[in-house]
Amino acid sequence: MTETHNIIDNLDAAEEATTNKEAFTPCLVRLCCVAVEAECVRSIVDHQAQQITIESRILNLPVPPTPTSHNDASMADRGADTVPCERYTDRPSDTADDGCIVEAINLTKRFGTFEALVNCSMRVSPGEVFGLLGPNGAGKTTLIRSMLGFLQPTSGHCIIAGHDNRRSSVRLREQVAYLPGDARVPRHMRGLGVLKFFAEMHPVGDLTRSREVAERLELDTRRRVGSMSTGMRQKLALSVVLGLQTPVIILDEPTANLDPTIRAEVLKLVVEARQAGRTVLLSSHVLGEIEDTCQRVVFLRHGHLVKELAMADLFQRHRVTAGPPENAVEASSPTPEIQIKIPEALRTRVQSQTVTEEGRTRIQIETAGDLAPLLPWLDSLKLTNLRIEPLGLRAVYDSVHHGEDTSGLEDEL
Amino acid sequence: MRKYIGQSMLLFLACATTLFAFAWVRVWVVSLLDMGQFKTILDQFREFEKFAPIEFDALFTYAGRVGMTYDEPIVILCTVVWCISRGSDVVSGELNRGTLEMMLAQPIRRVTLLATHATVSVAGLALLCLMVWGGITVGIEATTVTETVDPPAFRIPMINIDVPLTVAEPVTEEIPLRQRVNSSTYAASTFSLFAFGFFLLGLSSMFSAFDRYRWRTVGAVVGVYILQLVMFGLGKAAASLEWLLSMTFFSCYRPQKMTSLVANEGLGAPWSLATPIPDGAFPPLVYPLLLITLGMICYGIGGRHFSRRDLPAPL
Repeated sequence: MTETHNIIDNLDAAEEATTNKEAFTPCLVRLCCVAVEAECVRSIVDHQAQQITIESRILNLPVPPTPTSHNDASMADRGADTVPCERYTDRPSDTADDGCIVEAINLTKRFGTFEALVNCSMRVSPGEVFGLLGPNGAGKTTLIRSMLGFLQPTSGHCIIAGHDNRRSSVRLREQVAYLPGDARVPRHMRGLGVLKFFAEMHPVGDLTRSREVAERLELDTRRRVGSMSTGMRQKLALSVVLGLQTPVIILDEPTANLDPTIRAEVLKLVVEARQAGRTVLLSSHVLGEIEDTCQRVVFLRHGHLVKELAMADLFQRHRVTAGPPENAVEASSPTPEIQIKIPEALRTRVQSQTVTEEGRTRIQIETAGDLAPLLPWLDSLKLTNLRIEPLGLRAVYDSVHHGEDTSGLEDEL
Repeated sequence: MRKYIGQSMLLFLACATTLFAFAWVRVWVVSLLDMGQFKTILDQFREFEKFAPIEFDALFTYAGRVGMTYDEPIVILCTVVWCISRGSDVVSGELNRGTLEMMLAQPIRRVTLLATHATVSVAGLALLCLMVWGGITVGIEATTVTETVDPPAFRIPMINIDVPLTVAEPVTEEIPLRQRVNSSTYAASTFSLFAFGFFLLGLSSMFSAFDRYRWRTVGAVVGVYILQLVMFGLGKAAASLEWLLSMTFFSCYRPQKMTSLVANEGLGAPWSLATPIPDGAFPPLVYPLLLITLGMICYGIGGRHFSRRDLPAPL
């Protein structure tokens, strides 16, 4: 919260500076640029405010005012936002003692000598949208399928809503609505028949709700499944799964094969589920979807859970790209190194490197945490053509995918 | 259960229609041929009687000839098609289609899924067997046979020559077949067919529970079936290989033996658990019960494995 105060104060100071003609120096122009660009990310500095904004955007709701005072009240707002959560969390069996509704404990799955999943542990809180990220074959689907008992874990176990997958797999699945990565339903049935079938099969099935979802996804349920396109079958499966009123929803690639409009609708449904207090585990390759919906995300690579990231922290990461200082001489080398001195106090939060963009030498500085304390230092560098952008999930994903050492900055996060 | 019924309905209707119509037509065909005319010919082949599923003498009775329906290739084929197609569907079929994932995402036990499928399949099998019996019954009720009543004759002792007492032509008369054959004779044969199918259902369900490709399951079951059939044939053909008969389930499928028992010893004879059948090691009811027990063992093994195995993701 204090960090948020700092950046806002700093931005205010920058704005004041731009109104002072005497101080209207190139340096301050740059600072102003920083301020303007930083303004763009001001709304995402605070996780709570950002989440509300994104959800409002997805849901086409009026964006609530960004809290100016970041105190516990914002958490109270958040609590109000998720009141229906109590519907599930009130029940003692729904959550573990410490309040997490999904907990994987050292899940390991080997196929012969191949290790598909190695000691994966994670915890998901009630009312959270939790993302699973990783390249193909990283183990996302294996993790989900091991949690639900489709695969027998070599070791480890999973507890969902108080039910252990080894001992009470059926009770566990009563608490979960699961959309497989490649969801297929009986082809000889009609769409409505499928909805009825699954609504009757599940104790918390709700045909009315399933039909509502199908309508929102613009699905013609009168057609036979066999004559439906891949996208329509995906919509049908989504209608089945999102029609169930379970406390936990697990979606494996829910937007695969869907057009952009329906994708957005599915994300709306996910956010609505979260707002209803339900917990969503979302596996997707579409980073934008994860960014828009998730509060936390884990990365898997080669079966290892290599990184866990709170999206609020991610939104505090920025990349500063700039040209060399105005007085720097570039003629000596076609790609000269730009040397900058990082103050000791910032070393843990800043990394820099020289890159070449369209034949021009640029410096890239990646920052973690509050941006405000860095602005004076950036100003002191007298860089040109400065651009600040949120780092985004892509950068983290790439670093995880390529197995780069992501310690350092991210440890700070 | 409704899903499984819906899935299997088309196959069931096709098999049921075929079996009912065939059994009926088969009985009608029996009325067309007077096997007495072939008696002399068949007597020439007495040494091959052991290859036949029934004594040749039974072929000269209406009951015996109608009872041959249960060994007709079409009846066996329809039963085998039903059993292998339904049995192979339960796990590997669902896995192959990718629908098992959504099914088991629901809070149902795997064993429940298997049991539900088995219930539908076994009920379908029972109905198919009843269709055969029904077809036979309708055939018996609807068919009349023409019988020739020879004029009275006198047999000369010592030389055993029949001398007609009149010069009148033999009289032919139409007789309803039901006066010669009682359809309840075939209750035991129908049960035998059911037991045969039940074993095949269990066997194919077990293979299905172990596999992920339906085509491979079907191939494996058909392979076992053919192997067993070959063993049965070899066991019958060569005395030195008779031991093979004890290792093939075809030895337990004896519908015509049941018919003979009814003809010789009455309706209750095939249901005995006490008296061994002629040329057999066990009482008649033991054979179908053996098949049912083997089928249940197969179901048990399949269920146990299915409830513990990893289910691969849809292909």
